[in-house]
Amino acid sequence: MPPVFEARCLTKRFPGVVALREVNFALAPAEVHALCGENGAGKSTLIKLLGGIHPHGTYEGELHVDGRPTEFRSIRDAEAAGIAVITQEFALIEELSVAENIFLGRPPRRGLRVDWLELHRRAAVLLADFGLDLSPETPVRDLGIGQKQLIEIVRAMDKRSRILVLDEPTAALTEQEVAVLLDHLRRLRAQGTACIYISHKLDEVLAIADRITVLRDGASIMTLHRTEATIPRLIRHMVGREITEQFPPPTPPRPEDTGREPVLVVRDLSVAPFRHAPPRLQGISFELRRGEVLGIGGLMGAGRTELLLHLFGAWGCRIQGEVRLLGQPHAPTGPRDSIARGLVLTTEDRRRYGLVLDQGVGFNLSLSHLRNFRRPGGWIDQVAEQRGNQRLFESLRIKAPGLFARTGGLSGGNQQKVVLGKALMTEPAVVLLDEPTRGIDIGAKQEVYALIRRLTAEGRAVIVVSSELPELMGLSDRILMLAGGRLGGEFRRGEFSQESLLAAAMARPAPRAA
Amino acid sequence: MNSARLLRHLSMPLALAGICMFFALRESAFLGPRNLTQWLVEFSITGTLALGMFMILLTGQIDLSVGSGVGLIGGIAAVLVFHHAWPAAGALGAAFLVAVLLWTLMGTLIVRQRIPSFIITLGGLLVFKGLFWLVIQNSTVPVLRGEQDNLYSLLTTYYLPRDAGRALAGVVLAGLGLALWRSRSARRAHGLPVRSPRFVALAGVATAIGVVGLVEVCNRFRGVPLPLLILAATAGCVYFLTRHTPFGRYLYAIGGNEEAAVLSGIAVPRVLVGAYVLMGVTVALTGFMTTAYSGASTTTVGDLMELDAIAACVIGGTALRGGRGTVGGVIFGALIMTALLNGMTLLAVSPEIKFIARGLVLALAVWMDVRLGADAPRD
Repeated sequence: MPPVFEARCLTKRFPGVVALREVNFALAPAEVHALCGENGAGKSTLIKLLGGIHPHGTYEGELHVDGRPTEFRSIRDAEAAGIAVITQEFALIEELSVAENIFLGRPPRRGLRVDWLELHRRAAVLLADFGLDLSPETPVRDLGIGQKQLIEIVRAMDKRSRILVLDEPTAALTEQEVAVLLDHLRRLRAQGTACIYISHKLDEVLAIADRITVLRDGASIMTLHRTEATIPRLIRHMVGREITEQFPPPTPPRPEDTGREPVLVVRDLSVAPFRHAPPRLQGISFELRRGEVLGIGGLMGAGRTELLLHLFGAWGCRIQGEVRLLGQPHAPTGPRDSIARGLVLTTEDRRRYGLVLDQGVGFNLSLSHLRNFRRPGGWIDQVAEQRGNQRLFESLRIKAPGLFARTGGLSGGNQQKVVLGKALMTEPAVVLLDEPTRGIDIGAKQEVYALIRRLTAEGRAVIVVSSELPELMGLSDRILMLAGGRLGGEFRRGEFSQESLLAAAMARPAPRAA
Repeated sequence: MNSARLLRHLSMPLALAGICMFFALRESAFLGPRNLTQWLVEFSITGTLALGMFMILLTGQIDLSVGSGVGLIGGIAAVLVFHHAWPAAGALGAAFLVAVLLWTLMGTLIVRQRIPSFIITLGGLLVFKGLFWLVIQNSTVPVLRGEQDNLYSLLTTYYLPRDAGRALAGVVLAGLGLALWRSRSARRAHGLPVRSPRFVALAGVATAIGVVGLVEVCNRFRGVPLPLLILAATAGCVYFLTRHTPFGRYLYAIGGNEEAAVLSGIAVPRVLVGAYVLMGVTVALTGFMTTAYSGASTTTVGDLMELDAIAACVIGGTALRGGRGTVGGVIFGALIMTALLNGMTLLAVSPEIKFIARGLVLALAVWMDVRLGADAPRD
């Protein structure tokens, strides 16, 4: 049988970068074909080509659909050929209902007006087909991320798409939601739909994919059959080298730091989102010492991000409790205040909250620290600034053409390094990292881990929030598990096990999502 | 895309040259010394206001009230001089303070009460217009009392003596050269890359030709007009603020990503209020110049100037969504905008057609902003 889709010798250049070089890729009918590779390996560019986002003529090579050469001039052309691309940024309208979203742009009509009865009837049938227990009239805004993902797929299937492209579909899903999604994909495969599946989570890839193509540095390295693939083998091909040890060992505390006061003390802290609201965080107490990595885990909605944001002065109204930073009471008026006192935060959503994407790497690196480059008269000593930037650029090994390269054009891992660099330039005593390795590739993760070790070796204290238990266990000296806004348990290194951590995370019923 | 950027860089000089050629062919006096000087004065007035608007637009905000504000502030000074016999310096100072206060108030309302700037300044447009007409009692208030020139009237009638103009050009060029040399040696001392000597020499020669040429063109009439110096000083200050101070970086950062700016420890409210205060300063300068230029405060002074200022910024490549733009671009935008207005006046184009042309240019500029914004990689 000919492949339903084939890319032959694709080369795509951007100014200064070759994103794809002579990539070959074939998708068989009724196959789930996974694409693996580090960030910047070319996965996104490849799916942009086949989704018509980069139109014909902007690349070299050929696309074939059902064995015939094809030229997509736009996204519509690709859709007409039966290709549906579903990315992490949903194309759903929050204020409209599930049914309206499924039939967006092509609602059933009676004469000139929309046939609402037919719309809801057909939506209900589709949802039932998918085993989704949802009213078609539910506003999309009320759905969880997993459900939104499924609604996107339902919509694609209703458009008679024969090729489904999923870009990191499980990045924000819980384990049950992932299982549901994979079941649906297996069912669609049985009905003849072909699927391109992109994910950083290799265990998932092995669970669902029939074949796996590995991309590295814009080239297709190899295509493996499921039976030949193992996680170590995939990682080896993705990075081109063996990763011997996933987590660097903890650094011993510096002699001058032992026995000193903790840098951060939190006692019986309760915080509400705003005044007179019920508290989201309740009765939280912990201490953090110099040279220590404190991991904070918990399920979605447990209050991990809220806790960090509150310590940083960017969220919530304190109802009771006390925070002391370096021995002083800490009730910051805002992030500016916190940074001045030696506490910084990097957020989980670096593109939205971390970076000025239109500006250069150097602009972002020094943004939090500009006041320290100010000379009498108010001007910035740009020579000193650029030297400071250059030092971080090199020590963090940021891969970019230079300090003036646009930050939005970097890969996820390098953007994360810029965010970390901006925080580190302020010479903080306490560093709060919210999901520091989300969506970045394995090589960059290793560098972030090594950086955290370097920080503690310098006597700084680090708090890491992560959804990945192995990461928490590999990095932390101690782990706090939050459950429903309260402490579910505290563990020391040596007592860690996935089972006990998870049990602590589910210690209390999670509060309903706000 | 590279070609789009090149097109953007070339489009402004080409458009300006095209406009000048068109008007010069229709009316040879357009490039004559008298009209060139007049154009430069009009350019200085619009350019000064556009530089204030530039800093507001950089943060992603807008200010629609500046046209009425220009009339009001110029009117207050004129009334103090003509009806109350204040010395011109005192009247200008008092009106200046009023401008700073009003814009501090508007900035504070926008920041503290979180009212969209579009609405606050639209309200300002109407309120200032009403206040303006109340202040001047719907009449014509000259900027001088008696025949004796005062500081106010001299704003647009004073010309730098020819040799003083030449000397000033020399001082400015020497200053620029000194600053360049110091920056180069500091960068080289720390091992940072510097521009090639050939590039520096070329840029230096071009700058010298530009500055000396401008002075000589003015000297063919009466010398360098004072408003041009005010504009140059304002442009120098705004350039220094936006390029060389934390405040300027913060303007770009807030326009580029306001949430990231807050989390990076930037005092966003303070910076925004600061931008509005500086807007007030340029409104005052523009109000004085434009009122002096028309000789008296009348009900139409400042009409629609907010749109000219916004158009100049946008033509010059300032993004309406914030975070992008340069002082040089704004200057070019103001040149293009005022060349159009001056040329049409010279050709005695009827006011109806002038309105339509102004509107079309504004729409065209915003359309270009949107198109080029869409071309830039947005990932």
